Amino acid sequence: MAKVGVYVCHCGSNIAGVIDVEAVRDFAATLPDVVIARKDLFMCSDSGQEMVKQDVRDGLVDRVVVAACTPRTHEPIFRAAIEKAGLNKYLFEMANIRDQASWVHGHDHEGATEKAKKVVASAVAKARYLESLEDKYVDVTDAALVIGGGIGGISAALELANMGHKTYLVEKQPSIGGVMAQLDKTFPTNDCSACILTPMMVEAYNHPNIETMTYSEVDDVSGYIGNFTVKVRQKQTYVDWAKCTGCGDCATKCPAKTPDEFNAGLSERRAAFIMFPQAVPKKAVIDMAHCLNCAGREIGTIPKVNAKTGKQILAPCEKVCPANAIDRSIAHDPKGAIKEIEVGSIVVATGYKVMEKEWFKEMAPSSPNVITALQLERLISATGPTEGKLLRPSDHQKPKTLTFVSCMGSRDKKFHTYCSRFCCMYMIKQARLLKEKYPDLVINMHFIDVRTAGKDYDEYYTGARNMGINFFKGKVGGLEMLPEDKLRVLAYDMESATNIEYESDLVILATAVELPEDATSLAQKLGLQFCGSKFFRELHPKLGPVETSTEGLFLAGCCQGPKDIPDTVSQAKGAAAAAAVPLAQGKVKIEPIISEVRTEVCSGCGICVPLCPYKAISMREFGGELRAHIEISACKGCGVCTSACPSAAIVLHGYEEDQIFAQIAALTA
Amino acid sequence: MKIEQKKIDEAVQTITGYGGHGILNCVQCGACSAVCPGVKAGFSLLCRNLIRHLLNGELEEIIEDPSSWGCQACNRCTEICPQDVRPQEVVFAFRRYQANEMAFSTSAVTSQMNLYETGHAVFTDARELRKKVGLPAEPPTSAYNEKAQREIQALINSGPMGELGLF
Ligand SMILES: Cc1cc2nc3c(=O)[nH]c(=O)nc-3n(C[C@H](O)[C@H](O)[C@H](O)COP(=O)(O)OP(=O)(O)OC[C@H]3O[C@@H](n4cnc5c(N)ncnc54)[C@H](O)[C@@H]3O)c2cc1C
Ligand code: SF4
Ligand code: SF4
Repeated sequence: MAKVGVYVCHCGSNIAGVIDVEAVRDFAATLPDVVIARKDLFMCSDSGQEMVKQDVRDGLVDRVVVAACTPRTHEPIFRAAIEKAGLNKYLFEMANIRDQASWVHGHDHEGATEKAKKVVASAVAKARYLESLEDKYVDVTDAALVIGGGIGGISAALELANMGHKTYLVEKQPSIGGVMAQLDKTFPTNDCSACILTPMMVEAYNHPNIETMTYSEVDDVSGYIGNFTVKVRQKQTYVDWAKCTGCGDCATKCPAKTPDEFNAGLSERRAAFIMFPQAVPKKAVIDMAHCLNCAGREIGTIPKVNAKTGKQILAPCEKVCPANAIDRSIAHDPKGAIKEIEVGSIVVATGYKVMEKEWFKEMAPSSPNVITALQLERLISATGPTEGKLLRPSDHQKPKTLTFVSCMGSRDKKFHTYCSRFCCMYMIKQARLLKEKYPDLVINMHFIDVRTAGKDYDEYYTGARNMGINFFKGKVGGLEMLPEDKLRVLAYDMESATNIEYESDLVILATAVELPEDATSLAQKLGLQFCGSKFFRELHPKLGPVETSTEGLFLAGCCQGPKDIPDTVSQAKGAAAAAAVPLAQGKVKIEPIISEVRTEVCSGCGICVPLCPYKAISMREFGGELRAHIEISACKGCGVCTSACPSAAIVLHGYEEDQIFAQIAALTA
Repeated sequence: MKIEQKKIDEAVQTITGYGGHGILNCVQCGACSAVCPGVKAGFSLLCRNLIRHLLNGELEEIIEDPSSWGCQACNRCTEICPQDVRPQEVVFAFRRYQANEMAFSTSAVTSQMNLYETGHAVFTDARELRKKVGLPAEPPTSAYNEKAQREIQALINSGPMGELGLF
């Protein structure tokens, strides 16, 4: 006979404010096999836990039911407590009388108390049938994968590598660096972005524990925490990177032009190109979508021969390359090459993109002098299309009046309801840098409100006011195109409740942060979920900000929500630390609340195999017959197979048939 | 100014009751007023600023303000508003409140009378001009059709406008 102890929690006033805790305790004492029923103000406090432990140590109880809050946060606490006192930790059941009674029936004290009694009766009924279970362990592959080589991914990879773990850094662009590589200077200290980022890029690339795979994407992920198998596809570069020295000669001779993504479309690059001068690795790729197939020759075909000279007619890129890295007669596989890697944990740091100006029809997007803030960043950067000189795109003249427009696509029900978080700060940064360089510039900044929460950030803003930059409270309503490439700004000054109209030479839109299009397919491959704002969802908004609902999979940087560089780096280091835990332990614990096939009962019908959402079931040979087998490290204990098996051959430990029926009986009594 | 929750609630209820359902969505960004032709013409108590005063509970305090009658119903505010307030509807709700309290601005009374008499709130006699450019003098509207005018008057008399006792 089981000896069940029931412990009812007041949870301060969370439960006791609605439920008659004393009545629930009295009721629990009358239930079958209940030998002790107690209550406490906070069961999870030291004294509350000690009460349970003492009863276990005294041999009074051998099954424990705590009627309190949610098992999500508190089950581990009480399990650990009874284990310390010498009881198997799975001989524990929680009755959630807070979320399921006091919180949802706050208006009906009596009804809530009655419901709490039922919930407790059901937990006790199950507890009577609980059995001891043992944790299981599997070995871990001591390696990590970081997807995305922006400042978030680089920081996470360096952290993991410095802890001694082999780390793969996978980046889809030809170079690592992310958006930070495109920035001129960075707030709030105005240090040059390249000066602080480039050394980190080089350090990551040369780190003995980091294998950087650029121009690469994750094709497929299988496995589970501790043992993931990942297929990484290196896209076809059409340049032999082992030979390419990064001289860039091919790019100077290639005649094919297309907008340069790195300069946010403000200039052109060639089909054969190096992403930017400080690229790491500094290697050329040929973008076949824009290649002109010079000399009338498709890639992968033998060059024609000049009838007169008898010499081969080569494409400019292959002719000019001093390292012989380009050979267009090779039949390159356009799909590139797949490399399979094994890792124990994965950090996703795939960042963000900013919205294009074309979305905002009222903002004269067809005017070349309306640009996004990222474009301005390239315009004022020494490595940008104007080598850092502020020249407006339409006529390459220096503008006299500049307008900054905040919240384009952010805080707007038509696009994104969230705040993109760092735009206020970078707009102020850009204005400050420009005012310092060109004191005669008139700079008008229009905000709904200025959001500069952060260390030294508000001082940065008030400092900007002192520099003579004009701030207006009120969202810009529209722009009108005027002759001579000028723009009329239709704005509003909230404080004086009057409209504002003036002519501007260059208008900068702070467009919203959002996930890149390919984030959806990556999420499907990895089993990531999206939050309401369409960023990757973390496990818990407060207590699990780097974890995800898939164990062994972690998030860092803007892919989880808009963040500036300091926040991205902090989160990346946190994600790296969390991702290192299974690697450092060498083994991962598998909770035994999972399904198991009773092989002798299994008929081998295989119905369960496709039903498992975690691909944990396979058919294996047992004594010459095919029988279902559940991989314990993949099973999440969802119970789908258990309920589907026509032979009732699968048990879900912790939710066994007698336990569930006892619960139902108690609830329907 | 004192902030009294009771007055704020009353203002919100009154405006939503007259059709300004989005008033509580407003975050006071001012985009509506940046494009509003009424604001540009000096009617400052439109869209953003009207909502601000209403959300301060100043329903009665602004009842005599003529700004709401400066609204051209162009709906540029509705188009630009990032929070789905539909400011034009708030302005019209405020107008309905004003009308029901007989707080018409004089400009509004004239146009109501025009509407009653001719079927047009804004009406000018263009017969000479039309003849000059070779058009029939009288366009086919209620302005030159007594039967239509009687129908319009019957409609007005039997609706809430008739109850105001203006005509
Ligand atoms: C105009 C502007 C100015 C800014 N100025 C500042 C500033 O002064 N100070 C500051 O603190 N912050 C600033 N920021 C914010 C800063 O850009 C971000 O905080 C930072 O870039 C976030 O880093 P991240 O690594 O999360 O993302 P990203 O920089 O976006 O890096 C993500 C990387 O992942 C790669 N990737 C994406 N998808 C995949 C995939 N499927 N597979 C493999 N790789 C993938 C991308 O190519 C990219 O290299 C500014 C932003 C803008 C737009
Ligand atoms: S063949 Fe070479 S040079 Fe010609 S367009 Fe293609 S990449 Fe450029
Ligand atoms: S645009 Fe909408 S949210 Fe902004 S002030 Fe006007 S009504 Fe309010």
